[in-house]
Amino acid sequence: MNDILNGTLVRLSAVDPEEFSKAFTGWRRDSEFMRLMDSGPVRLGSQKDTQKWIEKDLDEQELHEHSFTIRTLAEDKFIGDIGLYVVNWPGRDAFVGLGIGDRDFWGRGYGTDVMKLILRYGFLEVNLRRVTLTVFEYNPRAVRAYEKAGFRHEGRLRGTLYRDGRRYDELFMGVLRDEWLEQNMECQL
Amino acid sequence: MKDLFRGELVRLTSEEPEFRAKHEARWQRDTEFHRLADSDPAEMVSEKKIKDWAEKYAENGFKPERHPFSIRTLSDDKLIGFMGLWLDLIHAEAWVGIGIGEREYWSKGYGTDAMKLAVQFAFMELGLQRVSLGLFDYNPRALRAYEKAGFRLEGRTRQDMLREGKRTDSLWMGILRDEWLQMQGGGS
Repeated sequence: MNDILNGTLVRLSAVDPEEFSKAFTGWRRDSEFMRLMDSGPVRLGSQKDTQKWIEKDLDEQELHEHSFTIRTLAEDKFIGDIGLYVVNWPGRDAFVGLGIGDRDFWGRGYGTDVMKLILRYGFLEVNLRRVTLTVFEYNPRAVRAYEKAGFRHEGRLRGTLYRDGRRYDELFMGVLRDEWLEQNMECQL
Repeated sequence: MKDLFRGELVRLTSEEPEFRAKHEARWQRDTEFHRLADSDPAEMVSEKKIKDWAEKYAENGFKPERHPFSIRTLSDDKLIGFMGLWLDLIHAEAWVGIGIGEREYWSKGYGTDAMKLAVQFAFMELGLQRVSLGLFDYNPRALRAYEKAGFRLEGRTRQDMLREGKRTDSLWMGILRDEWLQMQGGGS
């Protein structure tokens, strides 16, 4: 069987609250990163706050949450995190959220690679029927990465975001198990 | 849409902990019931303990991997037993367990009816692919009821139990989604 946690550029690894909070405390000072990640107002926070929140999150982690950190294969560098949250077991639908905090790894295929990994994990390990995500209109780089990973456009919440005095749409994307299997025949079980 | 909790003889309910404890404490004094329902020794548990347990269970409530029910008759709304589904979410499978505590309702189709409701719930509401159960060789009444509800005998673990000085087998049954759909007259 293949090692399903390794991609071509990155691998999925366990979340270490201390390591994560140290890196994230730096990344969150980057207001552009925070705006790409989250629709809420950008907020700063101490490392301790972040660590407590991560630790609590890990303690309560159940079968419907699958969180990983992202490391490069080349230098084993921690560059971001990704989480798969099953929102509907009967429908077997999960929501995916991805953040690459280290700017050196933007626009170079790392996000695409990790998204491909999490889809393989979701479909072959968690046995999902579909995976859903939302992305902001002002983040075309992410949209392209998700399209490359196999996501299709499904809809938009018009004008739900308000940034710098302008309204933007939130886009919904999704990929179905059968579509994914078709595009990834070599993995088909 | 049809009422998923209503069968032909029984309905599936959720009861207050005090009420459940009162009934379940009485049922467990029946050692035959106990031996049909469980492989553990027939221990006595106080009504209060059962109530505390039911409350605690309810507190963690609504976990996606657990669906407990009580069983009431449709004719006189009497509480006669309990059942539960325990899911393996990843593999879309569940184990089902049932106990009819009121002896007057044994062998009259009440267990079969409740089991049919549980299986329908598993396939139509929870989207599962399979339901499994276990029973004891000395309980042919249950075997018949489960067969009527659509379960097939899949195997036995020989002489894995010692009851009244005699070794006895555990039996394992299962029903697949496609088999159940076929029983309902096709569709997917």
